[in-house]
Amino acid sequence: MILLAIGCSYKTTPVEVRERLAFKDEHLSRAHTELCAGFDCEAVILSTCNRVELYAGFVLDDGGALTQPRSPSPRELDAEFIAEFFADFHNLPVSAVRPHLYVHYQAEAVRHLFRVAASLDSMIVGEGQIAGQVKKAYEQAVHDDSVGPLLHNLFRHARRVARRVRTETGIAHGHVSVSSAAVDYVKQVFDHFGDKTILVIGAGKMGELTLKHLRQLKPRHIWVTNRSADKAQSVAKGCGGEAMPWQRLDDLLARTDIVLSTTGAAEPIVTRQRYEQIAARRTGGPLVILDIAVPRDFDPSIHDGDRTCLFNIDDLKRIREATLADRFKHVEPAEAIVQQETNAFLKDWARRRHGPVIARLTQDFESKRREIVGELLSKLNGRLTDADRRHIEGAFRLLLNRLLHGPITALTEEPHSDGGGHTLLDALRKLFRLKE
Amino acid sequence: MDRVTIVCFLASYAAALALELLYQIRPLRLVRWLALAFGAAGLIAQTIFLAVQQPPLIWQYGWMLFLAWILAVFYLVGSVHHRRLSWGLFVLPLVLGLVGLGAAFGRPVDSAHLPSGNVLSIPAAWGIIHGWLLLLAAVGLCVGFLASMMYLVQAHRLRAKTLPGHGLRLWSLERIEAMNRRAIVLAFPLLTVGMLVGLVLMFQEHLSGWTDPRVLASAVLWLTFAVLLYLRFGYHLRGRPVALLTILTFVLLVGCIALPHWGQGGGR
Repeated sequence: MILLAIGCSYKTTPVEVRERLAFKDEHLSRAHTELCAGFDCEAVILSTCNRVELYAGFVLDDGGALTQPRSPSPRELDAEFIAEFFADFHNLPVSAVRPHLYVHYQAEAVRHLFRVAASLDSMIVGEGQIAGQVKKAYEQAVHDDSVGPLLHNLFRHARRVARRVRTETGIAHGHVSVSSAAVDYVKQVFDHFGDKTILVIGAGKMGELTLKHLRQLKPRHIWVTNRSADKAQSVAKGCGGEAMPWQRLDDLLARTDIVLSTTGAAEPIVTRQRYEQIAARRTGGPLVILDIAVPRDFDPSIHDGDRTCLFNIDDLKRIREATLADRFKHVEPAEAIVQQETNAFLKDWARRRHGPVIARLTQDFESKRREIVGELLSKLNGRLTDADRRHIEGAFRLLLNRLLHGPITALTEEPHSDGGGHTLLDALRKLFRLKE
Repeated sequence: MDRVTIVCFLASYAAALALELLYQIRPLRLVRWLALAFGAAGLIAQTIFLAVQQPPLIWQYGWMLFLAWILAVFYLVGSVHHRRLSWGLFVLPLVLGLVGLGAAFGRPVDSAHLPSGNVLSIPAAWGIIHGWLLLLAAVGLCVGFLASMMYLVQAHRLRAKTLPGHGLRLWSLERIEAMNRRAIVLAFPLLTVGMLVGLVLMFQEHLSGWTDPRVLASAVLWLTFAVLLYLRFGYHLRGRPVALLTILTFVLLVGCIALPHWGQGGGR
């Protein structure tokens, strides 16, 4: 097996370069085809906003030859050539690309993919998107017919690793974006949302993201109000809500359930005094106010945790920080799982590759054992009891097992040195004169 | 079977509560299953105890044990259905309190015989209806009490802006409030009808007068309950005040049961 992972990520490469190296969806098929043809290999391209990586590999048969017929003039599967491919494909000079690329070979490449799929290499550790992106990249490669036995097994295994890490550790628990944290707080107060009304005050960028998450709760109404009627209309149109006049703010606050406030006002727009008058008019359930404006729009003293629950941007950021801190506690066990699975994959792969050799070796020794034991027993014919015959056979079988134990174990434990050179495998063939 | 005593199920419930507390610190699945196992063992022991001893509902002792048994079922069903909630932390102390109170009341001194005269002379069927209606009303009030406690804890968590997912796991304020509302809406008619049946029986059979502590305590309980409902539905009072009033009503209920016992030094 020759496996190579080459690419760049947010850790090593500025976004301007990543943008230029990214593969657009419509170009992936061509890239897969060119890679497979040019290098005579299996290939999967993973291109996301945080990383562009290429996984390439090919499988050698027992004799060291390639299992796939090589194209007329294939290039070596080498980092420098792949860098050239990257550069050529994006019409960039190699010198502008190569310094940004990292390369992982063999076991390190396996481990790298497993870490990526398990979101251990992500900008936000434990985020759930990357596992889906890895799966999508693999499916695209399958669709483009650029995947062979090695990458099939590798990417399927990577999915299992991602699942294991997510379920066996707490690395994916909690929310890390301010907007999803807002929903967490809202769910502490309300149980169902089909009869709830959301009031959006202002039109900030952060408000749009939070509203996107709140909309997923499927509220009955979304009202939007803004000092500028046009802006209110525009936001309302974007979220399927209804624009309301700014002058009716108090009335709206008295009738709504969830408030998302994101104005750019320099002073609080709802003081305690003003809010007390509004609260006196409220007859429904509690009011949740998500005040993500800076400076704040609502007087913080109105928060009582019962009828009025006010959460500002700092409260929401606290969730994010606590979640990230919690997730980092799970990185170590997750890394252990990745290492364990890397070893399991390599061992399994080695077993698949070495299986036929081990079988041949065992058969060869077994036939020789039978031959020798047969000769011995025929020479001693008539002088042995059945028990003696069983003891002799048992002793030879034990000797055979002990003799083979060392070479077989060495072969199955060899994966890390599996660089395509087949030293141990070749040595075994030569030492024991195994036939192809 | 005869060897099953109050201590058996009291200890089982206490162990279940200790494990529920441990689960808050070490949320291991094994701890949760152990808590459920102890809870189930307690319930089985209590069921056997009630089946063998058959304490009549007319004794505070029997009444408390039956009420605790219903709430123990509530604990098990709730814990299985709402595995992620800190359900046992609220229900088990109440179960333990009720069993403890029942044990404190003890069997009446003349428990070898059912109370004669005033009890046996009332029409048996109406007496049973009266007892069961009050028991079911008490179950409703207990559920309301539990919901109110949960509400206060959740409101406190929100007031302190405790991070979601940290500490106790509880339902949303809205759901807890709905649970309280349903419980008190069901309990009040049951209590009213149960008390009316009791009053009719009492005066028909000349069991006691208006000055009887049981009658007075029951009247105060009913009035408090009525005020609670009026404030909730007539005055649209919501949230913390309703929770506090429900807790007060529950305390009055316990007082209604305990007062005649310690007032008269009896077990009925």
